[in-house]
Amino acid sequence: MLKIIIPTIFLLPVILLSNPKSTWMNFFINNLLISATSLTILKPQINTEWKFSSPYTGLDHISSPLLVLTTWLLPLMTLASQNSLKKEPYERKQLFLITLTLLQTFLLGAFCATDLALFYIMFEATLIPTLIIITRWGNQPERLNAGMYFLFYTLTASLPLLIALLTLYNLNNTLLITILHFLPQNTNPPSTSFFLWGACMMAFLVKMPLYGLHLWLPKAHVEAPIAGSMVLAAILLKLGGYGIIRTITMLTPMTKTMSIPFITLSLWGVVMTSLICLRQTDLKSLIAYSSVSHMGLVTAASLIHTEWSLTGAIILMVAHGLVSSALFCLSNFNYERINNRTLLLVRSMQLIMPLLSTWWLLFNLLNMALPPTINLMGELLIITAMFNWSPPTILITGAGVVLTACYSLHMFLTTQHSKFSNHLASMQMTNTREHLLMSLHMIPMVLLMFKPELVWSGTY
Amino acid sequence: MNKNFEKFYKKLKEALPSSDWSHIPLTKGLPPERADVVIVGGGVIGWSIAYWLKMKEPRKETLRVLVVERDLTYSRASTTLSVGGIRQQFSMPENIQMTQFSAKFLRNINVHLGVLNEPPIDIQFNPSGYLFLASEDGAAVLEDNVRIQRTEGANTYLLSPTELKKKYSWLNTDGVALASYGPENEGWFDPWSLLNGFRRKAISMGVYHCCGEVVVQMPHSAEIQPVECAIVVNAAGPWSGKVAEMAGIGTGPPDTIQGIKLPVEPKKRYVYVWHCPDGPGLECPMLIDTTGAYFRREGCGGNYLGGISPTEEEEPDISDLEVDHNFFKESVWPKLAHRVPTFECLKEKSSWAGYYDYNTFDQNAVLGIHPLVTNMYFATGFSGHGLQQSSSGPAIAELIVKGKYDAIDLQKFSFDRIVRGEPILERNII
Repeated sequence: MLKIIIPTIFLLPVILLSNPKSTWMNFFINNLLISATSLTILKPQINTEWKFSSPYTGLDHISSPLLVLTTWLLPLMTLASQNSLKKEPYERKQLFLITLTLLQTFLLGAFCATDLALFYIMFEATLIPTLIIITRWGNQPERLNAGMYFLFYTLTASLPLLIALLTLYNLNNTLLITILHFLPQNTNPPSTSFFLWGACMMAFLVKMPLYGLHLWLPKAHVEAPIAGSMVLAAILLKLGGYGIIRTITMLTPMTKTMSIPFITLSLWGVVMTSLICLRQTDLKSLIAYSSVSHMGLVTAASLIHTEWSLTGAIILMVAHGLVSSALFCLSNFNYERINNRTLLLVRSMQLIMPLLSTWWLLFNLLNMALPPTINLMGELLIITAMFNWSPPTILITGAGVVLTACYSLHMFLTTQHSKFSNHLASMQMTNTREHLLMSLHMIPMVLLMFKPELVWSGTY
Repeated sequence: MNKNFEKFYKKLKEALPSSDWSHIPLTKGLPPERADVVIVGGGVIGWSIAYWLKMKEPRKETLRVLVVERDLTYSRASTTLSVGGIRQQFSMPENIQMTQFSAKFLRNINVHLGVLNEPPIDIQFNPSGYLFLASEDGAAVLEDNVRIQRTEGANTYLLSPTELKKKYSWLNTDGVALASYGPENEGWFDPWSLLNGFRRKAISMGVYHCCGEVVVQMPHSAEIQPVECAIVVNAAGPWSGKVAEMAGIGTGPPDTIQGIKLPVEPKKRYVYVWHCPDGPGLECPMLIDTTGAYFRREGCGGNYLGGISPTEEEEPDISDLEVDHNFFKESVWPKLAHRVPTFECLKEKSSWAGYYDYNTFDQNAVLGIHPLVTNMYFATGFSGHGLQQSSSGPAIAELIVKGKYDAIDLQKFSFDRIVRGEPILERNII
């Protein structure tokens, strides 16, 4: 693990000591090197194997795909932010990159922590750099409100998690995931189990987000700058899913009853947020709600905790991370040119930037889980597992799939094929940097399509 | 005790998510930092476009529209200083269609611009019609114009001098070969109520507005607030030329598209109000003389207002809005007295001056996009008939929202004709 964490920490001197002309380049190249190094983690592996173990860190089949996603996304974030930060003074650009690096370090710490306490600390620590990115480099005055929502929703829900972890430590004398998984279940009085379950799960459910607690997500995603949106959509949401998957094994007897309202809520959220997507007028808001929709499926899958559903959850998390981040990048390309995100004013892009239209088409198709992509693999596994758990869920998940296709097509058709507006006539062409960004999102999707065993955890 | 409770309650309400409270003290009256469409100019054209944009957007809250007006007292605005006439007697079909739409809109104004719980608008529309008089030289043109107007569905008809004398006994038909009269959809109304109607309705539909100059600068402070926007609509009236220059239109080498300025300049026009005890009665239309002088009845107490467009040499100085009373005595009175003999004895009661947003190229509106600065839409250059063509508001709104003109095709009025150097001339100009 050190071969990834230490270079990430040492990105800080890279930023501070680089020649101003080549800071972005240095940062980007070093990041790509770290990503390349982290690719060695991806190996098809057996269920219970922990790799790269150390007293504090370790990777297993759930955390390794997410870790690789995290390291892959940082260079993409730098590539995407380069244009929006062009006009800032150099010190502020450095500060931005330092914040990104800190966030990356904490995320890496969270995903490779074997001790739940370390995981909790890193989980909370990621909030601060994200808040700084949203409130400082966001574009609208609403970003302050959005930052507050983001911070306080997560904090309020995760303080009980701290208490729950301390209780678990008291009961089991350890918080290592590797051990907790195998310890016999504690016979607690039902009230304790009830609160323990609630306290453990709420933090992650808010982060996922669960449908009723999702209010912070559209605000935070829309107001954040592009790098903030990418990291929020791609990785921070997955922290919630990862947390659920880790902690739910210790709470088994209560899970059967306690998880049912949350599974219901999340499935209902899939359908509801898809419907909301069809009504959105702001492009980024549309993509944010589609994130809630996909994550609803992941939440439901992690809560029923069968082998297939866990596999599906992890694959969908990886796939959604890449696709969502790519869609945010695409909407940012529009925003940089027109300074506006309203769907009404950003139409008929195909006439002006046809190459970008290809990327729009591809990522919208991926968003609606087109076979044979890994989005489909994830969704199929989840839907099948849910059907096995309870047959009527097929109605909701089926409706969700259809509606996802509806709004993805709506997004594509409105931005690419609608009536042409005259004021878009003289927009800049897409540059190589933007195409590179898009292809770097696409290449992992295509490669994973051919060898999904790399992220296919558990049941392989 | 009660007061404390009220304070606490107020604080509690501010803490809820839906309130406007922010922990940074914001200056009141600042525009939002980001808007989708910024309309420069808060006259009747600007507010009309704001209203129509909100009417034409496919769903509520799609577009954030901001109207920027530099002088909220409207002391120098062309809208409020206008005579308020509306006529269909133009020679271009598009002009006729625009004013027909305006007239229909004005007739049903409370249906369109009525706001819940607010008093209805009284536009004081006097449909008394316009009467154009033509001498021998202009008779053929007048006949042709009437033919075009009748094709468009306007109800104008021609009158010979004898018919004129029978209809209007106070008129001296000396030198008049032909006249044309429009009995419906023509007359005058109160521009201030129209402006307020549009403004009130647009604000109730969620249009933002602020007082300031472009680049938005608050009037009594040195604060400059940049507003990030996608589209700018230039509805600044006589000062559109300057606003366009701020966007770089007109700054450039003389032979390039960039070097072509927006040919809209302010030109001062005087309006005089007088009292004549024996003047024309209630049937008095807005009369336009063969010489170009015009007058109309104002109210029912024997007051009339009128004026004339000065010739090139007599163009008044635009730096202020002072009225030249000599101009009345020398240029307006003799002509009107010749036409209406009872105007020999009249008493000038008051006068004012206002600016035309005069299009020096061809005195017709400039509507549409600039070829280079593709997010500036023009809605200016109406040269004295802006108020009646405030229905170009929906045209511009359609252009922004749908990308093309829907109801009336105003492609003729685009900036391209200035680039190509092809003026479209209107044949009756006041």
